[in-house]
Amino acid sequence: MIKDMEDMIKSAANEVFATMLNMSVTFEHPDIQMQDSQTHVAGAVGFTGKFNGVIYLYSNLEFARKMTCCLLGLTDDQIEGNEMINDVVGELTNMHAGHLKSRLSDRGQSCVITIPAVVSGRDFRIEPVSGAERYAVCVRANKNCVLLEMLVKPE
Amino acid sequence: MSIKILTVDDSRTIRLIVGRAFKTYDCEVMEAANGVEGLAVASREKPDVIILDVTMPVMDGTEMLSRLKSTADLKSIPVIMLTAEAGRENVLRIARMGVRDYLVKPFKEDQIVERVSRIVELKNRGGTTAKSKKRFDDPLKIVLADDKTAIWDQFKAGLSDTPWQIDGFAQAQSALENIGSHVPDLIFVSTSLPDGAGFWLFQKLRSSVKTEKLPIFALSVKTAVDDQARAQQVGFTGIVTKPIDFADLKMKITRVLGLDASYKYYEQKSGALVVNYPSNYTQSIANDMAAHLQEKVTEAVDAGLDKLVVDLTQLKSVDMPLIEQVLNVMKYAGELSLKSGVIGSDEVRQACTNFEETKEWLLAGSLDDIMKLM
Repeated sequence: MIKDMEDMIKSAANEVFATMLNMSVTFEHPDIQMQDSQTHVAGAVGFTGKFNGVIYLYSNLEFARKMTCCLLGLTDDQIEGNEMINDVVGELTNMHAGHLKSRLSDRGQSCVITIPAVVSGRDFRIEPVSGAERYAVCVRANKNCVLLEMLVKPE
Repeated sequence: MSIKILTVDDSRTIRLIVGRAFKTYDCEVMEAANGVEGLAVASREKPDVIILDVTMPVMDGTEMLSRLKSTADLKSIPVIMLTAEAGRENVLRIARMGVRDYLVKPFKEDQIVERVSRIVELKNRGGTTAKSKKRFDDPLKIVLADDKTAIWDQFKAGLSDTPWQIDGFAQAQSALENIGSHVPDLIFVSTSLPDGAGFWLFQKLRSSVKTEKLPIFALSVKTAVDDQARAQQVGFTGIVTKPIDFADLKMKITRVLGLDASYKYYEQKSGALVVNYPSNYTQSIANDMAAHLQEKVTEAVDAGLDKLVVDLTQLKSVDMPLIEQVLNVMKYAGELSLKSGVIGSDEVRQACTNFEETKEWLLAGSLDDIMKLM
């Protein structure tokens, strides 16, 4: 297990949310339940090299829309379809991944990150395959939250 | 003639952010989604600056850069690399590729403007240049629309160390009239003004040509999350919660107005570049300091200085993130052959000896002492 992985994820979230979305965040227990009746959006970016894993940023569609408005300076009715939301979620996931990659590289675990992928829909969940280590942090910005989840292939 | 800027990024989000950053300048921003498209646009348009992402499908930024550098009529175009990865290895790799500058995501719009303005002279559509930006200690006019006069007093007290003028208005209508006749630099609007008047004022200001681009912050009680969500949704520039953290507020104002606050952190003194870590040091301040590091170290080298002193005398303790930040400062200074030393109180110096990473540091209690050691 990587003992400070959750701290690294929190540091990434603090920086990305403050810089790009002007939102201060707090952290909660990650076992918060995303309601299945809502549409969700999940961004994913992979790591490969001396460190192998995937980071997911998991949000409900409502908050994903708010993040899109905030990041692009738009009002809700100016959002042009899901492509714009997916792109924002993918880019935010990419920024978290970049922050983590930098920390990992500085400690000798050099790796490359993939381009982001985004999945959206209802009633889906991300589960680790057996043997993968799971690190999760629930990030709360006001009454909204996103789940940041890192699945790591053990060394 | 307009400056031509080409942004090459597979993320439409980043392309939109770059486009928006230069909206107020006399620039033409062109877009491409990968290296192949980027090369085609660069060949056709001959941009003045290219802002190039590293990781992209089809052709990544590294390959596009090497092709640019091997093409006679494109190789002199300055390139700023955008990367999501701030690690030392990655930064050094980018520096070796022959780029003019680089910027790590996440970034603020004013950072990308500042980097581009180091390469080309950006002019506002009104004619003034981006480089003539205000300093933190220049006068500003701030309008505060809040029916609680105690908040006006708090603003005046909390910002009393600045020359900023705070004009308080209890009613949205009177604030609107004042703003119409004397456009301020910045506006704060309480979301708890009676009958939704704060949101009404915001919409009025956004629909006026004079004020459509002015930064407007929502002021809201910390627990009024519905008001904050609504403020976020309608597009306030940011939200400031009560009770107000004035250190954080100053940071927000500095960022949103692109004020130059670097003089607070960097100072040429006694033959060295002194990097001052303030007593209220936070991650936000760290980001601001890091944004000016290259520029200030380069200026110091240009001025003939060969020493850099990290001043931790205002701090009472150190932790690992701070140590990492100082290490980055020293590393960058080392790349330009500057010798580094650290000054701090007895407690801070003692704490510095507890980290493996700091064993090699030259430590002293004062600037004079460290200069003798160096």
